[in-house]
Amino acid sequence: MPRRGRPDCPGPAGGATLAAVAITVLVPSPLRPYCGGASELSLSAPSVRAALDEIERRHPSLHRNVCDETGAVRRHVNLFVNTSHVRDREGLDTALMPGDVLTILPAVSGG
Amino acid sequence: MPERLMLSIGTKKGLFVAEASKTRRGFALRGPFGPGVPVYTTLIDNRGTPRLYASSCNPFFGMKVLRSTDMGKSFKETKSAPAFPKDDGRALANIWSLEPGAGKKDLWCGVEPASLFRSGDGGDTWEMVQGISNHEHARKWQPGNGGLCMHTIIRDGDRVHLGISTGGHYLSEDGGATFKASNQGVGAGFAPDPYPEFGQCVHKIVRHDDAPGRLYMQNHGGWAEWDGPGGRRPDIGVLRSDDHGKTWRSIAKGLPSDFGFPIVVHPQDADTVYVMPLVPETRTCPGGAPAVWRSENGGDSWSKLVKGLPKKQSYFTIQRDAMDIDKLKSPALYFGTTTGQLWIGRDGGEEWECLFDSLPPIHCVKVAVV
Repeated sequence: MPRRGRPDCPGPAGGATLAAVAITVLVPSPLRPYCGGASELSLSAPSVRAALDEIERRHPSLHRNVCDETGAVRRHVNLFVNTSHVRDREGLDTALMPGDVLTILPAVSGG
Repeated sequence: MPERLMLSIGTKKGLFVAEASKTRRGFALRGPFGPGVPVYTTLIDNRGTPRLYASSCNPFFGMKVLRSTDMGKSFKETKSAPAFPKDDGRALANIWSLEPGAGKKDLWCGVEPASLFRSGDGGDTWEMVQGISNHEHARKWQPGNGGLCMHTIIRDGDRVHLGISTGGHYLSEDGGATFKASNQGVGAGFAPDPYPEFGQCVHKIVRHDDAPGRLYMQNHGGWAEWDGPGGRRPDIGVLRSDDHGKTWRSIAKGLPSDFGFPIVVHPQDADTVYVMPLVPETRTCPGGAPAVWRSENGGDSWSKLVKGLPKKQSYFTIQRDAMDIDKLKSPALYFGTTTGQLWIGRDGGEEWECLFDSLPPIHCVKVAVV
């Protein structure tokens, strides 16, 4: 069972080779039809970028909802590692630790 | 099953479908489908078993194509939407046009940033059309207020006409393999050169099967008072071509404004064409009194159709794909407003009635007999 909302941990020192670790991805309800209805995905990845790559391999339709064709995370989609927005850490290069939770959330916007 | 009249109404908050008998009495409304998500284009495809398509332009999760195989009672996403190749560098921002191709399941799709895609399987897979999407001009086109959109696709045998805002009119004479800018006589009010090779803000183009070579265009007008480089550019907003879009001439004389978005041609009379003039600065109805203007002689003169429409205090906009005409014996016009009203103009627009008055802001309206 992954730990939820635990404090963020610093990643390994810059330049170090990252090892894939087991994490959980939380999928918001509008995107669950794109991954067989799952609310959580378990996968191994050393970074957020690698996690997205793994999502693209397993669930390409889900990935297309999160990232555009260039690989950029969509403007109104936010990614959190535990409680931290990835933009406040190392962006897609944010390192993942065993048990981390990567949460996909739509931004609050619209009208 | 008797033929029915079907309206597809794309709004800021999803797709609505309205259906009536051919008497056009008692339209039944259903929806929204793809709720909460803007729909900029729809296609009622009645080649064989009717299918309805709609773009669903999700600002959070990207573009989808919706498809219905049960006359618009339910919709599902197709297996994929158009997408640029990974190494292209562009990302799909909107889907602006869906048109039938030659084969029963062929679809053409115009997108933002302005590019063309084709599907051979009813929208499940898509391939980018290189001849226009990677045209030498493509990286020089600029977005208009609505984005850099390919909003018009007209197929006419081996000819393909495209309308791009702002890019202008492009013509293919080899079935869509290659395209040339074809804008002689199409003015631009926002560039030092009043008649550039390309880059015009074309709003909509239509043609008619019975008048080979003829096209009508609603261009971005409203430049009669322009005092910048190149001087005034009156009447560049409503145009006609009689040579397959190679040259264009103004037919705007007699209109209260040459600015507008939609242009529609009568299904049984290629000389009868309709526009909805708007104040260029505000893009709303002149004097707060909406009017559809009709020419019955190919644009030589115009008269307004207002019976039943508000006489004052109506300041809506009618967007480029928000007016259509059905193909019944005495056709009716339909237009949707940015204030969420759907109007029907019976007898070719002679008498207007509001069918629905509180929909979300309307982006597009299509009608077909199915």
